[in-house]
Amino acid sequence: MILFRRVVIFTMNSVCFQRNFAAALSPLVPVKLPSRMEAHLWYVVPDEVKSSFLLSNYLDILSPCEKENVSRMRGEQLQKAALLARVLVRTTIARYQINGQVNPRSLKFKKNIHGKPELEWDDDQCQCASRLQFNISHTSSLILCGVTVDSPIGVDLEEKQRKLKNNILAFARRYFTPHEVKFLSSISDPVVQHQHFVKLWTLKESYVKALGRGFSGLPFRMFTIQFRTTENGDSCPSGETNNEGEIIVKSLEDVNSFSSNWQFALLELAGSHYAAICMEKDEAVEGEVPTPMKLTVRKTIPYVRDELISGPDAAVISGLT
Amino acid sequence: MASATGNSICMKLVSCSLKPTQPSNSGISSLRSVSVPINTKGYPSLVSRRGSSRIQVFCAAKPETVNKVCAIVRKQLALPDDSAVTGESKFAALGADSLDTVEIVMGLEEEFGISVEEESAQSITTVQEAADMIEKLIEKNAA
Repeated sequence: MILFRRVVIFTMNSVCFQRNFAAALSPLVPVKLPSRMEAHLWYVVPDEVKSSFLLSNYLDILSPCEKENVSRMRGEQLQKAALLARVLVRTTIARYQINGQVNPRSLKFKKNIHGKPELEWDDDQCQCASRLQFNISHTSSLILCGVTVDSPIGVDLEEKQRKLKNNILAFARRYFTPHEVKFLSSISDPVVQHQHFVKLWTLKESYVKALGRGFSGLPFRMFTIQFRTTENGDSCPSGETNNEGEIIVKSLEDVNSFSSNWQFALLELAGSHYAAICMEKDEAVEGEVPTPMKLTVRKTIPYVRDELISGPDAAVISGLT
Repeated sequence: MASATGNSICMKLVSCSLKPTQPSNSGISSLRSVSVPINTKGYPSLVSRRGSSRIQVFCAAKPETVNKVCAIVRKQLALPDDSAVTGESKFAALGADSLDTVEIVMGLEEEFGISVEEESAQSITTVQEAADMIEKLIEKNAA
């Protein structure tokens, strides 16, 4: 059966599908919900997913609308990435087994006013289901899904080597805040400057995505991201050392607001990407230190293999104390 | 008010209180007092802005504007010269992520000498939409 208008990628035998799928592939491994200040990160490397049998089974998980969107992508690589992104979201959410077994195919999604995808649950599904939040980001070589409970989450991925067509400072002058331009201008090594540009971009994207407003809903010049080192409190650029300190955001919309209820983490993922995570801080109980953000990173090929990741493949750069 | 110039018909801002419709650049099926051919080449396209109860009617962009936008998009996304990029092409379908889209907008600003508000970035999803916005901004600058 040919599904796509332009490019024939996957063929499917829908009659035998269920039997074959169940027999040939492992079930999704269920996972406990993240705790309040925890974010679960799941990622897929598209290049590692080669089996057309697997891909055609993945396609069947998608809604008709999602299949249509995938088919509109130009070329096999983009179609595959689009497919894997939807599969990652659906299978990841299903693992948390709200109300018992959840079929990834049965999940429903809606968009908020700015276009941020959100889960849509039926009225009869229990309250805890609506507490699950997620956000997704992908490049051509990596797809990332972040999951939290209660806290809105924004994630953004960028290849470390991602080159700008424009000059970095010209771009920053156009879209970033004066503080950030000053920060980037102060870095003399172009390689380090480029790295910090990419880090700033992903952090800013993760913030507007966590807020659910997106780039058009909250222009980047309306808030500043700062790296604050613990010694002197001033932001200063540094190289790829471990833990460059705290990442904070200052809103320029309302100069009195510190936007201190948002917390960031910056990771180097799979050696090739910067990943920025933004989520709401836990409400601090009077006199107690607020719970720091905790990250659990897993690499997955849904229905095939899951792997807990630590060490160099998920190296924290900043933000986690 | 309508005036015809050459092959295209230009209509100036029409203010009418219609119910806000879904944002769409593919035309609106029924209109109170104006009947316009919709979605045919060279004719005006109707655009309803999100949250607005006014309909703004303006010309579809000139082919040379569309071609320039295609060239900028091709360059940003490193697409081969023979790849099909037309007015209807969606940036996202061509593989543009948010950084690409922002760079494309920056390239358009430089090429056409305009300034595009970030808030408008959401409404530029295709080459045609970008070209239409460019011409609208050029017209506004000239006025």
